[in-house]
Amino acid sequence: MVGSGAVLSVWLIEEINMERGYWIKSKPVYTSLKWHEKATSHLVLATGIGGMAVLKLFQQMHPTQPVKVLYGKYGQMEADYSDTLKMVVPEGLHIHKFDDALLTQFQLELRDAQMGLRIYVAGSEGFIWDVVAAAKPFGIQEMEIMKEQADTLARSVYCVHCKTISKYVTTNITACCGCERMLFVRDHFSRNLGAYMGLMVDAESPGELPAIEEIYP
Amino acid sequence: MSTINVKVAAIEAVTPLIKHFTLVHEDGSELPSFSGGSHIVVTMDAEGRTYRNPYSLMGSPTDTQAYHISVRRQESSRGGSLFMHEHVHVGMRLKITHPVNLFSLSKLAHKHILIAGGIGITPFMSQIEDLKRVGADYELHYAFRAYEQAAFVNELEEMCEGHLHCYADSQGERIDLNALLSQQPLGSHVYVCGPSPMVVAVLETARNLGWPENNIHNEEFSSPPVGEPFKVQLAKSDIEIQVPAEMSMLEAIEAAGVKADSLCRGGVCGRCELTVLETDGGIEHHDHYLSDSEKVSCRSIMPCVSRTKGKRLVLDL
Repeated sequence: MVGSGAVLSVWLIEEINMERGYWIKSKPVYTSLKWHEKATSHLVLATGIGGMAVLKLFQQMHPTQPVKVLYGKYGQMEADYSDTLKMVVPEGLHIHKFDDALLTQFQLELRDAQMGLRIYVAGSEGFIWDVVAAAKPFGIQEMEIMKEQADTLARSVYCVHCKTISKYVTTNITACCGCERMLFVRDHFSRNLGAYMGLMVDAESPGELPAIEEIYP
Repeated sequence: MSTINVKVAAIEAVTPLIKHFTLVHEDGSELPSFSGGSHIVVTMDAEGRTYRNPYSLMGSPTDTQAYHISVRRQESSRGGSLFMHEHVHVGMRLKITHPVNLFSLSKLAHKHILIAGGIGITPFMSQIEDLKRVGADYELHYAFRAYEQAAFVNELEEMCEGHLHCYADSQGERIDLNALLSQQPLGSHVYVCGPSPMVVAVLETARNLGWPENNIHNEEFSSPPVGEPFKVQLAKSDIEIQVPAEMSMLEAIEAAGVKADSLCRGGVCGRCELTVLETDGGIEHHDHYLSDSEKVSCRSIMPCVSRTKGKRLVLDL
């Protein structure tokens, strides 16, 4: 089947290209957390299995500068590192049950912070970009925040048609939670929205859908 | 590169060493608008050679009737600034490039810390106009040898109101960079323009205090240093050019009639980068563009400021 329309050909091209060597510049590449050598203080944020990244940070060393860790034990996975973190991080650890509370504390910390504070985040991609969005009003740019992706590969998907963001999408094609259009989940990522672009997949031949597969478990 | 023909409308000696030139369009029309921190390259046709020197625009970016540049007399340089001081007179025609900004203000910054040393004050004068227009938070820290030699202090006091902090070396006043940069709110950006040791000190202090690279900005045009004469072979053009001691390689290439790309002519922008095919003596990199590892590899050179230590250099041009 060859798509004649622009919308259809996007996913065809992307699927073909995804075979080998395919790479799109906008797709974030995450790292393993590592302390910045130069800093006046550190602020570490993590959820769920991202707690392991925090433990690994403290395996590297316990920095001489002040450190605060905000940990959320919610998330997709059951993994909860609260108890271990309490032992490893004797002071400056704050545990939250809900991400709203964690992000509220994050913004309170930023309000009085000064240049020299370095920020680290480990968790699902959704959490990472929630943190980026919370930091933005403080003049913090996304590339200043060190990010480790842990937990699920699930994507936030921005519907280019109705502008709704569907969260925790694990499949190559998903129904938009705003307009119910069937969207192809692209690799094209918006750092501003913290979401991947989703394009209607059956615009030209309604109901004709490629196989739906879970590829972002 | 397309140039603009301008006429010198006024020359004012700001200090014994600094002259302020007002340039207007040759035919009286408007000049292109620009953003704070932009510079132009002025072409000077001297006896037997051409100088092309970059100068920051220091007038208001909203004033398209005239451009303002200030030139410090550099006795021990190759002659461009001496030519401006001694041979350029009111009414004279000059060629300039369109303004280019390699030192722009960050639109995302919440606060701007501007640090100037000596004649490095010029790009900030146009930036302050921009900052005032948008009501941005800023501080200007201006260091100089002595009040008698400092340019534009009175103008700046008026422009900046309470935002200006002056430091006269003659009175033992120094900027305490550590104190200044360790107590700034998140979202601050620091900008420095001045002599090389000052730029290095600001960059090092900011980095040591954990400032992200994105928040650190510097403008440091190097004037091409005087070096040993050498020969450069241009492989594609199939010619050999002699580079005299007091001429940059880019100027020698241009004088030989070979077309070479360039923009800032001060080792900052990277536009003139050339691939080195062969060298027998290594390269004296004077630019601020290539990374340290690129400099060590000797595969690229910025002909606007860099030279070779050897006798022979082959370039892919």
